[in-house]
Amino acid sequence: MDCHAGDEAEAGFDLEKLLKDPTAPADRDRWVRLHDRVAAGEMPPPDYSEVPAKEQQKFVDGTAQWLKKLVSSEQNKFGRVQARRLTNLQLERSLHDLLGIDIPLANGFPEEPRTHGFNTVANGQPMSHYQLEQHLNGVDKALDEAFRRVLETGNDEFEEDLPAEKFVRTNPKRRCREPEMLDEHAVVWSSNMTFYGRIPRTTAKDDGWYRFTIRAKALNVPEDHGVWCTVRRGRAVSSAPLLADIGAFEATSEPQEWTFTAWIPDGEMLEIRPGDTTLKKAYFKGGQVGAGEGEPQGAPGLAMEWIKFSRIHLGPNDETIRKNLFGSFKIKQHKDWRRAEVTGDQKQEEMASLMAEFAERAFRRPTEDEVVQPFTDFAWQTYEETGSLIRGLRAGYRAILCSPRFLYFQEQPGQLDDYAIASRLSYFLWNRMPDEELLQLASNGKLKDESTLKNQVRRMLQSPEGRRFVADFTEQWLDLSEIDFTEPDRRMFPKFDMVVQQAMIDECLTFVQTVLDDNMSVTNFIDSDFSFMNERLARFYGIDGVKGDELQRVSFSPDSPRGGLLGQGAIQKITANGTNTSPVIRGVWISERLLGQEIAPPPQNVPAIEPDIRGANTIREKLEKHKSNDSCASCHRHIDPPGYALENFDPAGQWRTKYPAPRGKKGLPIDPSYTTADGEDFAGINQFRAIVLKRPEKIARNVVEHMLTYGTGAPISFADREVVEQIVERSADKNYGFRTLIEEAVCSQIFLTK
Amino acid sequence: MKNINFNFGRHLNRRTLLRGAGGVAMSMPWLSAMAPAFAGTAANQPPKRFVAMTLGLGLLGENLNPEKGGRDYEASPYLKELDDIRNQFTVISGASHPEVTGGHRAEASILTANPVGSSGRAKNTISIDQLMAKYHGLETRFKSLVVSSGGSDSPAYTENGAMIPALDSPSELFTRLFVNDSPEKQALAAERVQQGRSIMDLVQEDAKRLSRKLGTGDRRRLDAYFSSVRDLESRMADNEAWARRPKPSVNAKHPVDISSSRDFIGRQRLMSDVLRLALETDSTRFVTYHLGGSGGVVPLPGVDEGYHSLSHHGRDEEKLEQLAIVEKEIIHAWADFLRDLNKTDENGFTLLDQTAVLLTSNLGNASSHDNRNMPVLFAGGRFNHGQHLAFDQKNNYPLPNLYVNLLQRQGMEMDSFMTSTGTMKGLEYLG
Repeated sequence: MDCHAGDEAEAGFDLEKLLKDPTAPADRDRWVRLHDRVAAGEMPPPDYSEVPAKEQQKFVDGTAQWLKKLVSSEQNKFGRVQARRLTNLQLERSLHDLLGIDIPLANGFPEEPRTHGFNTVANGQPMSHYQLEQHLNGVDKALDEAFRRVLETGNDEFEEDLPAEKFVRTNPKRRCREPEMLDEHAVVWSSNMTFYGRIPRTTAKDDGWYRFTIRAKALNVPEDHGVWCTVRRGRAVSSAPLLADIGAFEATSEPQEWTFTAWIPDGEMLEIRPGDTTLKKAYFKGGQVGAGEGEPQGAPGLAMEWIKFSRIHLGPNDETIRKNLFGSFKIKQHKDWRRAEVTGDQKQEEMASLMAEFAERAFRRPTEDEVVQPFTDFAWQTYEETGSLIRGLRAGYRAILCSPRFLYFQEQPGQLDDYAIASRLSYFLWNRMPDEELLQLASNGKLKDESTLKNQVRRMLQSPEGRRFVADFTEQWLDLSEIDFTEPDRRMFPKFDMVVQQAMIDECLTFVQTVLDDNMSVTNFIDSDFSFMNERLARFYGIDGVKGDELQRVSFSPDSPRGGLLGQGAIQKITANGTNTSPVIRGVWISERLLGQEIAPPPQNVPAIEPDIRGANTIREKLEKHKSNDSCASCHRHIDPPGYALENFDPAGQWRTKYPAPRGKKGLPIDPSYTTADGEDFAGINQFRAIVLKRPEKIARNVVEHMLTYGTGAPISFADREVVEQIVERSADKNYGFRTLIEEAVCSQIFLTK
Repeated sequence: MKNINFNFGRHLNRRTLLRGAGGVAMSMPWLSAMAPAFAGTAANQPPKRFVAMTLGLGLLGENLNPEKGGRDYEASPYLKELDDIRNQFTVISGASHPEVTGGHRAEASILTANPVGSSGRAKNTISIDQLMAKYHGLETRFKSLVVSSGGSDSPAYTENGAMIPALDSPSELFTRLFVNDSPEKQALAAERVQQGRSIMDLVQEDAKRLSRKLGTGDRRRLDAYFSSVRDLESRMADNEAWARRPKPSVNAKHPVDISSSRDFIGRQRLMSDVLRLALETDSTRFVTYHLGGSGGVVPLPGVDEGYHSLSHHGRDEEKLEQLAIVEKEIIHAWADFLRDLNKTDENGFTLLDQTAVLLTSNLGNASSHDNRNMPVLFAGGRFNHGQHLAFDQKNNYPLPNLYVNLLQRQGMEMDSFMTSTGTMKGLEYLG
């Protein structure tokens, strides 16, 4: 008690203050932490301990009891999650579902914070006039697109065959950056020149989805692999220099075809070129390439025979959109869709029925007349004022899409009703609206039935929409969306390039998808005897025998360090800053994301210790100094071990045994050995894995907690812990299979109550 | 200066720049903008403005803060070349936001003084620029401007604690400020705004019906939605009035954005120039400009390491030296902004007299992510400048006290802001 009392309390943790009003909601987290640290035997510290073990246990049990009771009663009254909003991604996909359109919208909404790791968590979701204004803008953009598709004369889809002569440089004598003609192929050589390989002929005249097939082969192919090429899009001029990645392929001496689908904004073109940083480069003077200057240099090249270029739509066709939004109204299309005309009989009835149908779909549940009526009135009134059915309909749809019934989840305290379950489930697994089957089951009252729910989880995960679950979830759980936050220093990591990075993401996603599809144990996230890679990634990792640009399953020997998520380049890169690694940063990340070891934030009254890097040699020595402070050590004994275990992986994801050499010195050897918080020694990554895998239930619990936070919109509370344990126990005989864990989580009280 | 792609011309003749309706030249922009719509307000009082410039990576205290306090301090290395405007600004050392910790995360607290970064649990509160804009923002086309040198992060927060995303393109900012939409677009916009207002009424009623069926927890949360609807409605009403009025025209070329994010100083100068135009034309009175830390090598002689990496100097002498080069240039660019404002006359006062300009950062020491001893330079707005207010480096003075001075200067009768304990000792408003 002496340590944690008064203004000078250790770690700013004042017990006296806490005891004044133990039920203060603001102190809830502190009590939970207090319980956990005493329960784990970390507090009071062994040196100070005058409290008999029996007393401690009594304290732990007592605290747990009242905490649980208190939190439970609050949850029963208000629910775990309150007024959760659709995320930007969920809004985008819901607007796609409702309107039948396919344009990107999420980027137009304000950035959203991630709370407890996820932007689905209601507590952190902001709502201000600004959010609402941007929402309205997004709705307008979506409605414009849907109306354009229906009201504009003709179809905007087209297909164009471009043989090489149609997209090479128009004047062969001019030095420029477009491909040159060589033996009836459009050729681009391996080179560092910016925008080289741009193809103005592919410039998009409208924002849209484009699909293109490239038939090509490689020239001057290296001995042991093909010529990796990148496909990017952009304006490709220095005033607008950004290029967005579309994809990559490995060209060989045999011609092959590759197909890509990409959103291309108006005015942007394709750039296709050899893009492997390890290839020999040709040099050109004056920032331009003259035809014939590349060939004699012997650098690899890409030779394209033709490109098939088409504008497409993803999702429903124009006719389906028309039926949904205009019903039986007759349409006279116009080149300028804003001047199209819409007429019809029984206008008022038709409008009312269109509004009712739309509202029911948008609100994701049966909707009473009194709820729809104001929207219908508004649409009709707008029609009467403007004489335009188009404006009337648009006004009605616009208003419905601003209703809180669309924007928010409608969940009542206690057991969720079937429609609320349908929405929760479909936004969890699809990030989109419930489909007809789910709504049908809801209307029949079937969604509380365990076997129905499990069947739905399986159906949804196998559906095309469900194939996005892994990417959506890992984007936040594993921070995959932040992989290009830093770019590894080119001088330090010359073999790393964007093709490698994309292959790393693909490796990670395919791996997690496979664990899910085959219902393999989630312990595979810590260690596995397989992963997926293409030739480029395998070469980067130093693994032999992988050919081609398709990802393929690679088996590891037991001594390989590459198993599990821990062994994947994507994770190693995300947890580093591009130039160096820190066991602390990696340690916190691995603990929280993969091991389920929550790391408390640094205590409030302890300032950051200024690292004096003069004289310190390795990161280990720096941290040894850091650790000599007792109050740091109490947390860092948890934080640091996984970080040290990963030290052999550099910031770009390659295996290393030495630190990079400072100017004029030799690189110091890496020592990945350490001791876990429980006192077990390990020599490196594989021994560390073995220690972690002794407690598979911990790994499973961690996955369940992240999934339920993501899927329900609230973090796991003290009162939820018991249910989480049950979920984990129920999947034990399935070896903690990933899909089983999802099914059990969905059938749990946490998922099925508010 | 390398990489500055345009120059507005230092000596603008404002009489030729600003036209009211009908093309009549106006000399007092705030009158041209405001007189028709807000005839009842005290239009003869020159407007009081506030510009907050916030740095993501701090400033080295040892190079910034003079050794001696008071009026006869000897200029520190960073302030040596600011002698000509010495009496236009105040250096404040030994001040910070009480309880605010969390290193970089404390960026969220620079202008709110709310300790959100430290626990991640609390909710942020309104930033001082937005608080001013809430009361005085309606008088200009833009209630406030929130801009940055790169990216959409900003330290400006609404009452709900939601971050207001920053605009990072000077060119886009220029378009919004000075380029009129086509008449067709204007009409469409007006119609949409009008309909938007009706929709806000409609969904407010809808939300009320929904709210009756909800639990108390949800109802409380839905309050944020209600106030969002009300705020947006009132904004739309203002927008409608502004939409009918032409934007001011300026005798300046449309700026071209600097694409290289490494050119931190070039971007700062370019954005500062457009902001000056915004203030001159009274397009807004409240500006937050966030100069976050870019990772790249700032193109200055003697600098070959990235800015962010330099800020983690770990007391390495070479790094400290390079960092000083970058930071000095930031301060010089800031000083040039002050000089420009000082040259512009507004009804007998300089624009700088009418504009309080703050330069600060959440980081007192970027290398250790320490949030104490925040760097603070404070200029303009008719305060008793020309001094170094040296507070205790060990036991910091509450910086929110300065914010109280600023709010009171706006005519807002507030005697506290977050953890303030009064107004700032030694700082006086000259009226």
